[in-house]
Amino acid sequence: MELSLNHRDEGAATVLEVAGEVDVYTAPKLRERLIELVQDGRHHIVVDMTKVEFLDSTGLGVLVGGLKRVRSHDGSLRLVCDKERILKIFRITGLTKVFPIHDSLDEALQDSG
Amino acid sequence: MPAVDLHLPPDVAYVGLARLIVCAAARLAGMAEERVEDLRIAVSEATTNAMAAHNRDGEGAPVVLSFGPTKSSFEVTIADAGAGFDPEPPEALNDRDPLQEGGLGVILIRGLADSVSFERGEGMRVNMRFQVGLEADGDRTQASVDV
Repeated sequence: MELSLNHRDEGAATVLEVAGEVDVYTAPKLRERLIELVQDGRHHIVVDMTKVEFLDSTGLGVLVGGLKRVRSHDGSLRLVCDKERILKIFRITGLTKVFPIHDSLDEALQDSG
Repeated sequence: MPAVDLHLPPDVAYVGLARLIVCAAARLAGMAEERVEDLRIAVSEATTNAMAAHNRDGEGAPVVLSFGPTKSSFEVTIADAGAGFDPEPPEALNDRDPLQEGGLGVILIRGLADSVSFERGEGMRVNMRFQVGLEADGDRTQASVDV
């Protein structure tokens, strides 16, 4: 399965919807999109991962890179994830302490900004 | 079922194929779906590392995955001809800067496989074992999985 990315602005935040598989082959596309969004002045990003089927450490690394980038602009990067199998890899790597992770997009948008 | 050897060109485009084939074999062996998800990530990590090693070292030889069920587990060995690396010990996770990029693959492999060994020789050999059933110990009744 390929990776598809769509973004839209919701108030002060930008929602980046990620669908498909994020691995070493597809992650560069996600990295580039995050860089573009920050360069365009979008510093409060919500990455909606509810349609992500697979994510490994390459994808985690890209999200960490995105977080550092928005933080350097006093921004924020929140994640929406409701799949246990994906949450598990955030827990194993200790990244649940680094990313605000929400069950729903509404909840993430309420806290964003 | 004897082990299967899969020779893949050292191109990251094939990591998805590696996941697909190894997980299909694990399902055929009766592995519970929850464990197949663990296996899927661990195979992706080890194969990505192997492909990266070949690309870094200009090594054109294939990366070789050997996998199949044993008596009570499913075993995968991923061998590359790269320069190899010394994986961080499991306790290094405690002192790690969570914002450090890289190195997460080995942490995930250790966290997901029931046992893992890293052998550095001519290249790198990562051997991972997964229980086929959901229970790590005791009752090893195989889960019924639709294939």
